[in-house]
Amino acid sequence: MNLTSLVRTSHITRTFTHSIKPISSSSSVSLSHTPTSLNPKPKTPLYLKPPIYTTSLSSLKKFQKWAKTLSSSVNASFKDSSNLHQELNWLLQDSLQNPNILQTHEENDNLVALRLKLDDLYDLWTQRIEKRRPFQYIVGCEHWRDLILSVEEGVLIPRPETELIVDLVNDVIKGGGENGDLGNGLWVDLGTGSGAIAIGIGRVLGDLGRVVGVDLSDVAVRVASYNVERYNLQDKISIKQGSWFEPLSEFKGQVAGLVSNPPYIPSGHIDGLQPEVGRHEPILALDGGDDGMSDLLHICNGAASMLKSGGFLAFETNGEDHCRFLFDHMETIHKESFCNLKIVPDFAGIQRFVTGFRS
Amino acid sequence: MAGVHLLIKSFPTFLLRPNTPSPTPLLLLRHIQTPFKPLKKTTPFPPNQTSSLLSRHYSTTSSAVTNDDDDVSGGREFVALSDEKLLSQCDVDTYKSSGPGGQHRNKRETAVRLKHIPTGIIAQASEDRSQHKNRASALVRLRSLLALKVRNTVDPETYTPPLELLQILPAKSTIRGSECGSQIGPNNPKFALGMQALLDLIFAVEGSVADAAKKLGLSTGALSRLILSDDSLRQAVNEFRTSKGMKPLK
Ligand SMILES: C[S@@+](CC[C@H](N)C(=O)[O-])C[C@H]1O[C@@H](n2cnc3c(N)ncnc32)[C@H](O)[C@@H]1O
Repeated sequence: MNLTSLVRTSHITRTFTHSIKPISSSSSVSLSHTPTSLNPKPKTPLYLKPPIYTTSLSSLKKFQKWAKTLSSSVNASFKDSSNLHQELNWLLQDSLQNPNILQTHEENDNLVALRLKLDDLYDLWTQRIEKRRPFQYIVGCEHWRDLILSVEEGVLIPRPETELIVDLVNDVIKGGGENGDLGNGLWVDLGTGSGAIAIGIGRVLGDLGRVVGVDLSDVAVRVASYNVERYNLQDKISIKQGSWFEPLSEFKGQVAGLVSNPPYIPSGHIDGLQPEVGRHEPILALDGGDDGMSDLLHICNGAASMLKSGGFLAFETNGEDHCRFLFDHMETIHKESFCNLKIVPDFAGIQRFVTGFRS
Repeated sequence: MAGVHLLIKSFPTFLLRPNTPSPTPLLLLRHIQTPFKPLKKTTPFPPNQTSSLLSRHYSTTSSAVTNDDDDVSGGREFVALSDEKLLSQCDVDTYKSSGPGGQHRNKRETAVRLKHIPTGIIAQASEDRSQHKNRASALVRLRSLLALKVRNTVDPETYTPPLELLQILPAKSTIRGSECGSQIGPNNPKFALGMQALLDLIFAVEGSVADAAKKLGLSTGALSRLILSDDSLRQAVNEFRTSKGMKPLK
């Protein structure tokens, strides 16, 4: 079957079953069973909002001073786990039409254009400090690789470690050779979240290459679809809702590459997580069962039947022991299915990824 | 490139002389294949990048300095390596404390520090909000530092400029053919290779811009202008001239 038509059809299925509302087409008909009010449009990241508010430069400087004082009041472990100073600068950068204004020596009664009300700026910074609300949810985006991805509560903020998966895929595609033209095949990102990996891969594939991103969470499906459209990749990447392989039965044995960063934190560790993560990020994205391996093992068991011969796989793990465990599991239990298995460290030197090929 | 200027003073220049043993003791760098093995634990380093901090990390291990003539990799080769190869010769640190990372952690650790193991040269970048982009900037800086700090010896008697040097020369150079294309400026990543070759020549002619200009088919004024067009290049030339008791270019 021709991949273009595959993706087209799946794109339609998606639109019908999950009422994704693309940003641009307010006219699109939603055939969802869920009332639209429960399924709102993804939030626009702050930096893309129109600069329709104004305040005086002196009020803005007053906010900045207040925010700095508030940040310096936090306890040591908070200080250690965050770069509040930098975050405040980035928040201002995203809020202002002209971020350089704070550096200039303009008159203090000059007006500056803001993308949100000054009061909201105070609210947001209070949430950051008092509620430990993650900075990325506050500004509604994360800078990841060369992308700026929209994120909001309900979807995992993509991590820098995960950036490497796209490089691993790129190396395999550009390496070409014995495994055929993987760059023009069908790729799958299981548990796509914000769509980060799917979009990263979509941008390195050849003209005929396609990506399907799968996620169980409505919010993730909506946010990922929004991000795909923001990068104008809707003809290349489709986002499907469902549990792991379930929405992919039609692609059995045809997949050129399968990647996943599934939930991998052991259930018992969830309570002890950094507040930004444990209190605010979706548990569905983090909890990997008692030993953190449930989803990884499930995905690994299903991967053999999805991938075509010579197809590539890459999984992110909790690191070190988990990584070696998964590697050993694949090398013994799936000896027949996979070859060329490798453990790849992340940029911090932690054994993080398992990669390999379908025999 | 503010970070780079801070760095320049902190490193002695490496001299590379492939093949022939030299009368004066020269540093020879052995080609070290380091597997991709970044540092596992690092102490977080202060956010402001000071030269003293950086120079503290400078080191040339004794295994890297050898008089063994074979298996020598010139500085030119470092600069010409692919990003991937060059990165594989580096320890890569991000600002981070220890811990499992990945899904456990939400900290915008975007700064990247690269330490080039064969030379000990360090480059870092922290200005962008994406770690990925900072890694790319740090690599560009590393390349430029390698070009500035690692010298290949050339013989002025038999000298002919390599293509990458011709490419950064202005069109009025009499030895620059049309095959060189249009002039490559300091913002082009290929500039580093040309800059390195230019410094090799200036070192070989003991810092004389007039002598170097002759070899390049340029007037002394035109070569001075080229040198002054890039801050790090100017600074490297002037440091060398000052060490030879010559006046710095202005
Ligand atoms: C750790 S997050 C990774 C998100 C994204 N790929 C990234 O790297 O930033 C794991 C994702 O798996 C999704 N997920 C959890 N259980 C799932 C399931 N049974 N089927 C599909 N996706 C699932 C979560 O909603 C979450 O988006």
